[in-house]
Amino acid sequence: MSRRKTDEEYSKTKAYKFFKWLRGENSYIPEETRMDMGLLIPIEDDSTIKERMNEKQMAIDKVYDEDSNKLLKFFNKMYRVVAAMFLVILAALLIYNVAFLPPVGERDKPDNNEVTERYIEKGIEETGAVNIVTGMILDYRAFDTFGESNVLFVATITVLILLRLNKDKRPDRDELEDHESSDRIYEPKNDVILQTVAGFLVPIIMIFGIYVILNGHLSPGGGFSGGAIIGAGLILYLNAFGFEKAERFFTEKTYKWISFFALTTYCLCKAYSFFCGANHLDSHIPLGTPGAILSSGLILILNICVGLVVACTMYTFYVMFRKGDF
Amino acid sequence: MTDTVLTPIQTAYHYLYIGVIIFLALALFACLIRAIKGPKIADRIVAVNMMGTMVMVIMTIMSLLLKEDYLVDISLIYAMISFIAVVVITKVYIGIYEERRIAKEKQKGGADDGMD
Amino acid sequence: MEWIRLVIGAAFLFCGLAFFVMEIYGIFKYDYVINRMHAAAIGDTMGISLSLAGLMIFSGLNFTTLKIALIVVFLWFSSPVASHLLANLEVTTCDDKDKHMKVYDELSTLEEELKESEK
Repeated sequence: MSRRKTDEEYSKTKAYKFFKWLRGENSYIPEETRMDMGLLIPIEDDSTIKERMNEKQMAIDKVYDEDSNKLLKFFNKMYRVVAAMFLVILAALLIYNVAFLPPVGERDKPDNNEVTERYIEKGIEETGAVNIVTGMILDYRAFDTFGESNVLFVATITVLILLRLNKDKRPDRDELEDHESSDRIYEPKNDVILQTVAGFLVPIIMIFGIYVILNGHLSPGGGFSGGAIIGAGLILYLNAFGFEKAERFFTEKTYKWISFFALTTYCLCKAYSFFCGANHLDSHIPLGTPGAILSSGLILILNICVGLVVACTMYTFYVMFRKGDF
Repeated sequence: MTDTVLTPIQTAYHYLYIGVIIFLALALFACLIRAIKGPKIADRIVAVNMMGTMVMVIMTIMSLLLKEDYLVDISLIYAMISFIAVVVITKVYIGIYEERRIAKEKQKGGADDGMD
Repeated sequence: MEWIRLVIGAAFLFCGLAFFVMEIYGIFKYDYVINRMHAAAIGDTMGISLSLAGLMIFSGLNFTTLKIALIVVFLWFSSPVASHLLANLEVTTCDDKDKHMKVYDELSTLEEELKESEK
């Protein structure tokens, strides 16, 4: 039970009397004056409010009308001119700066130092990944990538906090529920042509995404791009079949558990480096022959984790911005 | 390009690829003009879709010219993304248009009632 | 042998480019979206499949050829659907339908035609 008093009980308390006195209801005012005071604040019905809104709108229109406001006309013209000049100057500055860059492939460039040499010369030997970029971001700099995955996770949570609608306070709930459980009302739904083609294409897109993720250490690609492809496939499925069918396999709970397990696995895979003095290259896991799918130690697992997080993030962003709820 | 001397057939391939790429770049400009001029939103989407098709061909030629296989993967992804873009844009735009139209009709009806 | 392959591939490639030229001519010639879409669909199907067929001949038999073929198959699926959705968008959001695309009532036009044929 709530501790809130009923109106009758409340009217007997001292607090009620105090606030009543503050509002001035108790003070003595002669009858005629009271009536005048009542007249001071006219009771507005809807039509007068509408009129006043119209007047306000007309005043705003008058201010923003170019014929009556010479200054605005001048400003609008100058705005375009100044914007164009600003862009030209910016482009000229940037192009001028490019002229000072050292030519491509020069020997004495500042970024041609021992770090790059090490990556290129010993990359395959130490990480076992044919694709040097993947070997770099998921083995030499694995903690950076862990931070990036966490940034995606935090971004999704922020969007969830900002955009999620409260289920009880959703507007016109009964009206919305008729239209396939609060899908956007006026959008075309159940397009048979689109559904037929999506039935073919979504599995192909998914398989292609999985191929890109699993081949991350052999060919360009990897967790981020493969995850983006899988997310795009999920978005296509959602657009073709509607929210109701997509919610059968992907809800907020799915998102939570997939992100949790992927990030935890990543963290556990790289946690051993705390015990080897931040030297996380030597993991005692056989690296295998470079070029095979099952090679290069932990990179494959880390790629899968990153891909899952990215795919879930893309899909969740899309759903939140379209509907505001799972 | 490398310093090694190209055989005649390699030279022929090289000039063919570069010529086709330049031609397609000019075609892209024509599509861009249509995308800017197009009076309706469907015009613009059609033009952008065509540009996507041409860019796909350019990417595939680049992958043969530079002998890099992965550019074909990127071309495939490009096809996918442009298709999804068309699907999403049409859906969202129809939804917004209908919503605005119905709101306008409602406003008009309300105003007529007020006048009466 | 190599030269024959170059010539055949280049022939396919130039056919594809010719279709692209037709497409661009079409989108500037017609003055309504649906007609333009008809021109644009030519490039999406014939243009790209012919030019990619030429490139497949250039690259020979390997994994890249398979991926290029996959692009063509993907476009054959996706391009008609994209055209369908665009036409849907245009029909829904067009404000003056009667000017560009007059829809006749099917039954009444049939009756009129029958009457004309009887006369």
